[in-house]
Amino acid sequence: MTAPASPAEALRRKVDWLPYAVGALTVFVLFAFLLFPIAKTILSSFVKNGQELEIANATLTNFAKFFTSASYQRAFVHSLVVGGVSTLVATLLALPAAFALSRVAMPFRNLLMSLSVIPLVSPPFIGAYSWVTLLGKSGIVTHYLNTWFGIEMPSIYGGFGVIVALSLSFFPYVLLIVQGALAAADPFIEECAFVMGASRWRVLRTITFPLVLPSIAAGAIIVFIKALGNFGVPSILGGEYYVLPTLIYFQVHGYFNLNGASAIALVNVLLTLLAILVLVRVNKRRAYVTVTGGTRRSAQLTGLGARIFANTYCWGLLALGLLPHMIVIYSSFAEQWAGTVFPTAYGLANYVNVLANVRAPFTNSIILACAATAMCIVFGTLAAYTSVRKRFFGKWALDLTIMLPFILPGIVTGVAYLTTFNSGLIVLSGSGAILVLAYFVRRLAYVFRTVSAAVGQVDTKLEEASSICGATWWWTMRKITFPLVSPGIISGAILVFATLISEMSVTILLYSAKWKTISVAIYEYIISDDLMNASAIGSITILATLLLVFLSSRIIGKTMAEMFR
Amino acid sequence: MPSHTLQLRDLTKTFEAEQGAVTAVDSVSFDIVDDEFFTMLGPSGCGKTTTLRMIAGLESVTSGTIAFDGQDFTKFSTFQRNIGMVFQSYALFPHMTVFENTAYGLRIRQMGDDEIKVRVSRILELLGLSALAHRNPPELSGGQQQRVSIARALVYDPGMLLLDEPLANLDAKLRVQMREEIRRIQKELGIMSIYVTHDQEEAMSVSDRVAVFNHGKLIQVGAPHEVYASPNSLFVADFIGRANFFPARTALRNGQGARVALGRGSELEMPLSRPLPADEGALLDAGFDAMIVVRPEHLGLAPAGTPGIPCSVRRILFLGNYTRYMVACADARREVFVDMARRVPGIAEGDQASLIVHHQDAILFSGAGR
Ligand SMILES: Nc1ncnc2c1ncn2[C@@H]1O[C@H](COP(=O)(O)OP(=O)(O)OP(=O)(O)O)[C@@H](O)[C@H]1O
Ligand SMILES: [Mg+2]
Repeated sequence: MTAPASPAEALRRKVDWLPYAVGALTVFVLFAFLLFPIAKTILSSFVKNGQELEIANATLTNFAKFFTSASYQRAFVHSLVVGGVSTLVATLLALPAAFALSRVAMPFRNLLMSLSVIPLVSPPFIGAYSWVTLLGKSGIVTHYLNTWFGIEMPSIYGGFGVIVALSLSFFPYVLLIVQGALAAADPFIEECAFVMGASRWRVLRTITFPLVLPSIAAGAIIVFIKALGNFGVPSILGGEYYVLPTLIYFQVHGYFNLNGASAIALVNVLLTLLAILVLVRVNKRRAYVTVTGGTRRSAQLTGLGARIFANTYCWGLLALGLLPHMIVIYSSFAEQWAGTVFPTAYGLANYVNVLANVRAPFTNSIILACAATAMCIVFGTLAAYTSVRKRFFGKWALDLTIMLPFILPGIVTGVAYLTTFNSGLIVLSGSGAILVLAYFVRRLAYVFRTVSAAVGQVDTKLEEASSICGATWWWTMRKITFPLVSPGIISGAILVFATLISEMSVTILLYSAKWKTISVAIYEYIISDDLMNASAIGSITILATLLLVFLSSRIIGKTMAEMFR
Repeated sequence: MPSHTLQLRDLTKTFEAEQGAVTAVDSVSFDIVDDEFFTMLGPSGCGKTTTLRMIAGLESVTSGTIAFDGQDFTKFSTFQRNIGMVFQSYALFPHMTVFENTAYGLRIRQMGDDEIKVRVSRILELLGLSALAHRNPPELSGGQQQRVSIARALVYDPGMLLLDEPLANLDAKLRVQMREEIRRIQKELGIMSIYVTHDQEEAMSVSDRVAVFNHGKLIQVGAPHEVYASPNSLFVADFIGRANFFPARTALRNGQGARVALGRGSELEMPLSRPLPADEGALLDAGFDAMIVVRPEHLGLAPAGTPGIPCSVRRILFLGNYTRYMVACADARREVFVDMARRVPGIAEGDQASLIVHHQDAILFSGAGR
């Protein structure tokens, strides 16, 4: 055998500087494109529109409007009402279904749960207009309610429509999280209560409910955050009923008052933070939740009554949640639909038209989403690896920074980007790059989360064994770590891509004529009352998104429902 | 055969934990040369793994030095040290075949495909794995997986082989077989090896030398028979093999030895006495200034009335090639074991008897001030 390579020989190899360079780059990107815009937005909310960002110019004028301007006050109250009521309705709708899905013997349970993911992956604004088709002045349901029963529906435009659309879009968050908790809760605890002589109802009230309360709170908070930050639905169904996100849009597009918009954005975020504080408080009591390793499922109710109720309720609720999407697909086949309850001619004309004339938005969306996904892969993976594997000072700051966009409504990110990249060091407004970067920060957490989980599964000993064998850090990453976490990376990436091709709330502030996306195209068709073409694009988007999410779930071997818990 | 030396000097490792600093390894020094099979032995948490990981460069050194062939090892990163290591959990790369796992270190060393094939085949054959070359690790048994990880560690001629409890996950029979095999291959390749275990029987049977650790400190180093025959402390005596302890009072010192008295007055002549390590002074019972340590095979048993230490026989175990008597004795620390080649006629369970100490083989540890 040849003489062993001595350590002295090995020393001639390159110094392992790569991890430091990579770490520095990641920190720089997070700083420049996430923290800096947020900081600048906060600062500019304290300066009057058109003035320089200086201490001398500091003022509370922008916030004072919440006390002086009636439209500000209304928007604030509306946001609270929409957020609060949608959350309440969504939670109340979801709880019986969550219970049924975990405690009643039901066929097709997994199918039902996978289908309930659809409202979460296709943005609610695509289906929003369906509620006009159904419940509007000349809507289908309105028509029959009126002719058969003489019932007059309240106008769909305004708070009513927004709340209906949002609660039916977001209830699956509560459903999936609570169902997961119920399914995982230790059956012994409930059985113990039964043995002690408690009635079924009493067990539900005193044992089961408190046990899953933190999960209910977690689901409800997500709904609240999503509803509070949603721009698409109130912009289509709100009419004169302004909420904070539409008010921000109005300030930006009507007056180009970015400072005012920043102040509203800040208030919007503060409401979100308040909600999270509540969540943290509720979860403090989480210590007593015991979850088994899933060796034994809790007893399933098999009574006929329970099964009939469970099936009717769950499928009914799902049908309600999918109604907007089905209407979108239905409308996409309508060729003539004016002044009548139902279309008078059906065909593929809308698709032919859309595919022939609306090419640019499709290519734009795909290009932008691809670029942003690539960035998410690179930096999400690096950040996740670093966060899981390395111990370093300020690690919590890294995790927090990456998770930050989860609580920032898209429109707020949009305001931050307009504020930051309109002038100054880096000017990006109107470019495709600003959309790519905004998409990137908004979705970074998706890849970060799936990759963190995947890295956590890889035994550190494997990496140690590799460096013992003589591998540099980069060699180990390439040959060992990346191959083993690649399912996590791919699945996270597909999820990012799928949810970006129809991104609405940040796009609406940052797009330009050259970079119109699918969501903007749909929005423009809806605004100009061309529902049928909007539906054709919407249908294509919904199906593509669904397909991609399905693919992603196959790759990491989870059900679609598990990916959203 | 290339000549190598590994020198550890005052090696110390302190972990910053939440509850304060933990000194996991405390001023450890030893030398290993050439193809020695060196074992670090000690109870759980005594710092064996930490010491091994510092040698591998997987853990930073708080203070002290590690030198390999005179060069400061701590200046090199793990990947530059050219070592082989075998983990308790095998740590095989799950996405590579047995062949690729084994070839991994050679690929890093930019070796040509032909040479890789030759070397991998040779080492797989040495470990009896040739037939499994194209299997994936999850399809192998625990013993086979451990063999692959040994092959992977040896194929690139590392300067030393580190093994951290490599057999802990295997069943008892396979453990015995594998440890013999590891030693055979180690000697065949002539590679310096450092082995970690908390199983003293395993350590005794395969090692050229053992190092006994406790609380991060190296207590004693020596060949297995030396450590067994002349432990330097009560801890080592108790940890290696089985020992019986008799608290004693020194009555008279004479040259190297002493005349001592046990608790109930029996007097013994001990030809040899050695000082008790300073930190074990607290182990002496009140009123006693020395401790007699006797291995079970250095005790005898005779019917009551014979001169000796009075005791009562609790249990007699026939263990094939010898018989173990478990005996209660008021003069001993705890239940006394007496191993006899033959059964003693006339003694049954429950009988009173006399304990006879073969004092040329017993060790007297004298406390401070004597
Ligand atoms: N990363 C760490 N951080 C803090 N303390 C540690 C760390 N690693 C080890 N220790 C502590 O150092 C001491 C020695 O640990 P080590 O793993 O070296 O023990 P060991 O002798 O290998 O034990 P075992 O036989 O159980 O494997 C223990 O008290 C352990 O708790
Ligand atoms: Mg250990």
